Amino acid sequence: MSDLLGQPRDLWGRLRQSIDWVVVLLAFGVIALALINLNSAGKGDWTGRVATQLRWVALGTVVMFVVTAIDYRVIYRLAYAAYAAGVGLLVLVPLIGIKVNNARRWLGTQDYRLQPSEVMKVLLVVALARYLHDASTRKTQSFRTLVIPFAMVLLPAALIINQPDLGTGVMILLVAFPVLSVTRLHLRSMLGAGFAALVAVALGWRYMADYQRKRIDVWLNPELYADDEGYQTIQAIISVGNGGFFGRGVDQGTQNVLGFLPEPFTDFPFAVYAEEWGFVGGAMALALYLGLTLWSINIASQARDRFGALLCTGVAALFFWHVAINMGMVLQLVPVSGITLPFFSAGGSNVLTMMVGLGILMSVSRSRQYRA
Amino acid sequence: MINLRQRDDLRELRPRFQAMVFIVCLVFLGLLGRLCQIQILEGDHYTRRAERNFLDVVDVEAPRGRIFDAEGRPVATNRPAYTLYITAWARFTRDGEAGVVPSPEGKRMVMDDETRNLIVSLIDVVDDEDRDTVVARIEELRSDEAVGKYPQVVRRNLDWEEFARIQARLDTIDPWVEIRESSKRYYPEGVLIGFLTGHMGNIGPRGLERSKHLGYRPGDRTGKTGIERQWENYLRGRLGRRARVVDARRREVDEPPHEAVEALPEDTDPIPGQDIYLTLDLDLQRVGYDALSEKLAGGVVAMEIKTGKIIAMVSVPGIDPNLYEQPISSATYQAWANSPLQPFIDKTVQEHFFPGSTYKVVSAIAALSHPEFDPDEELECEGYLKFGGRTFRDTHVHGPMNLETAIVESCNTYFYQLAVDNILSLDRMEQVARSLGLGERSGLGLNGEVRGTIPTEEFEAREGTYQGGVRLNSAIGQGNVKATVLQLAVLYAAIANGGYVMTPYLVDHIETNEGKLVFTSQPQRRNDQPVIDPVDRERIHRGLVGVVNNEDGTAYSERLPNIVVAGKTGTAQVGREKRRRTDDDEDEEQIEGWDTSQDHAWFAAYAPAENPSIVVVAMVEHGGIGADAAAPIVMKVVNHYIGQSVSETKAAPRPYGVPPPLPGQAKAKLPRAGGSTPTGAAP
Repeated sequence: MSDLLGQPRDLWGRLRQSIDWVVVLLAFGVIALALINLNSAGKGDWTGRVATQLRWVALGTVVMFVVTAIDYRVIYRLAYAAYAAGVGLLVLVPLIGIKVNNARRWLGTQDYRLQPSEVMKVLLVVALARYLHDASTRKTQSFRTLVIPFAMVLLPAALIINQPDLGTGVMILLVAFPVLSVTRLHLRSMLGAGFAALVAVALGWRYMADYQRKRIDVWLNPELYADDEGYQTIQAIISVGNGGFFGRGVDQGTQNVLGFLPEPFTDFPFAVYAEEWGFVGGAMALALYLGLTLWSINIASQARDRFGALLCTGVAALFFWHVAINMGMVLQLVPVSGITLPFFSAGGSNVLTMMVGLGILMSVSRSRQYRA
Repeated sequence: MINLRQRDDLRELRPRFQAMVFIVCLVFLGLLGRLCQIQILEGDHYTRRAERNFLDVVDVEAPRGRIFDAEGRPVATNRPAYTLYITAWARFTRDGEAGVVPSPEGKRMVMDDETRNLIVSLIDVVDDEDRDTVVARIEELRSDEAVGKYPQVVRRNLDWEEFARIQARLDTIDPWVEIRESSKRYYPEGVLIGFLTGHMGNIGPRGLERSKHLGYRPGDRTGKTGIERQWENYLRGRLGRRARVVDARRREVDEPPHEAVEALPEDTDPIPGQDIYLTLDLDLQRVGYDALSEKLAGGVVAMEIKTGKIIAMVSVPGIDPNLYEQPISSATYQAWANSPLQPFIDKTVQEHFFPGSTYKVVSAIAALSHPEFDPDEELECEGYLKFGGRTFRDTHVHGPMNLETAIVESCNTYFYQLAVDNILSLDRMEQVARSLGLGERSGLGLNGEVRGTIPTEEFEAREGTYQGGVRLNSAIGQGNVKATVLQLAVLYAAIANGGYVMTPYLVDHIETNEGKLVFTSQPQRRNDQPVIDPVDRERIHRGLVGVVNNEDGTAYSERLPNIVVAGKTGTAQVGREKRRRTDDDEDEEQIEGWDTSQDHAWFAAYAPAENPSIVVVAMVEHGGIGADAAAPIVMKVVNHYIGQSVSETKAAPRPYGVPPPLPGQAKAKLPRAGGSTPTGAAP
């Protein structure tokens, strides 16, 4: 295959050419900031969470390069099998999953655990991309071709929401949406989907658990719950505001250092970051994430085929939604949900998923049109 | 092979990617705008709120003023202690496996039972009731989130062991428990002058209500008795305020971020309480205490006759005021409350007794004021006198008596006869007694002084006890005549100093922490003209000298080898009713040597007899004969004070370089600074 692309024969040269340096630069820029921030959130501790995260990043980097090295047509071949495996793991979670902080979302042991719902995001993108690619070769659009992709999305989403993990479940839907909309959906059907979503939310409100309803209530009036449920939200926004233009400096943010900010590692690392790096740092992080998203769309638009384009669209969506929702949560634009900020949030499954996504990106990038 | 076309035509997807780029940019721009709004436009607002989070202003307790004796030896100081604070509503919870964890979403959670029980088990409690009060206090905090979310005092004055025990378990109870350093009162001399220093106690709800403007906080400790109570406003000092950086647990942070430190407001230093210097001489106090402690209950007062300075004031039994710094078990407290010896009562001022024969000087002065009275006329004592169908007894047959010998030998019949002859009337005696300070508070202002009673005919009529015999009993200090030990000291001081009734005082001067004088006591006479005629005084004085120095005197056996002491014994019969009651009451605690049928023993004296400087009065409750029980105590005190004779008791000598004060100019070193006037009387 490499012969076809006329790549150099020596390993280093091949590596250099097959790696998309824009992706690497942007990704490792984010990772560097994330690790510094994680250290800060851990009160200057380089051994605990930072070391763990670093190990995951190292492992993820290897996985990323392995995925990069694989021709994405191999991924195409494995797409459905991987999807089936992912769904299988999701089915296992309620049966043999372990509990952390009163939520049953993980498989494995307390120390070495995997969150199938995280991995499912990227597996869904792969499977969806294959189906949509295949469907585009057939000229006719039957009812079946319209229903099956939706079913592919809804099955894991339902399993995850059932865990219960509404945030990640919605995330699955959100990630699938751009992938579907790039090829299949027309404006009319998009409007229809949007309407359906509204109806679903309205209906869902009735079936939402009390704590979920409360979250939305808290989001709308956090000051009413300043001492209880709203504490987290308010402390997060105080942290952000306390950062000011230039920030308080690393390890100098009072909100973080003095422990007023709950969950600084998972849900609210951006609040820590914004306090210590200020508006300048916030804009910098936004720029990096924006760059990564736009570059993914760029690769998508230059992909050799629909499968590659859809993969990249899915990865772009993955980054975009995670960043938009997590930051929106910190900035009080959306209700609090357990959506992580890529690389900033401590968590192996998430790092691994994102790294796989980046690997796919580079794999597609390798065989872009104008590069060949 | 794989069903992928080599070149897919994706140009038709372009507009969709463009739309996606547009949407992505729009969303990121929105995030950036929001970031700008919060961090730049509203940044100051959130900075203030962040400051409110970490800023904590705490009260800094002012060290309480110390109390010293006349030589500057401390009798009340402060010692470091620990105070236990509990935050019942913390943003933490206990997890079965993971130990203490932050509560979900940082919500406040109430302390669990397990933690509560652990905390209670780490505290030393004296009994079940004490444990219950601790538990009740924690429950109070647990039931009220508005109060419980702040650290609240649960127990004061923890000792080092409790502190260490709690410190060792801090990893499991840290979110709820904080120990702050504080100080507790310490009385180096303990029970020796416990009634004078008094003790401390928690301010009650009524005390708080009454002193709103003084800024006491619930749980503050105030003086409950003695000097601690009387001079509370001087001793107390003023709270300071200190700003500190706290973390989410509201614990002070060792190395806070420097910007946090810069945001702190300025501290206000506490103003320490003022130091009180007593007129008291600890050595003399100890001599008096040691001598009196051989008895079960009683009081001794030693006072300078020219100034009214109290130099020793002892009441036995007492309670070590240090005990009040820890919780007291209810069993102990009950034992004190039920003790017939009444350890709560200051026997020198808080209880009055029949003065017995020591009152005869009042009768003598009253008789001398009668124009028809001839003090040299001799009356025959037959050992008893019959009047109104009753027999009034005397100790023995004294034979012919005149005024002087009647005092020397303490003859009752002589005074009965004067009463029968109407030379002594209740009104005349009352007038003299009142002019000499009996029947009224002495003005010391300590420990709820009682007035004593001096009967008048109206009084007796009101009480329904007036009969002719009352006059006879009153003449010898029985009947309804009652006086405190301190009142008798003032009375005998007036006889010694030529007729001036002094207001006794205990506080010599008060200094601020920096040594600035804020208050000086001046000797105060209650009368400008002497209340006793010099001739009468001389006559009584001769009698009093005879009591100790005449071979027939009642206290002759107790005389000192080198010091001429003038004094009067008293053996006050205790009412028969009282005896009967104690006989019937079998539940009453029996104490060896405590016989309530025994008389109260008195001895009041001044010395040296010519040119006296000190008056000493001792009273031993149910001590028996005055000369045997009370006089030796007085003699020991006098001996030590005058300090010139060979000391039988080997009492502690005066410190090197301190001469015994000369009569009349004793401790005459006031006022100190620029003639400053007293800033106020006792509060």
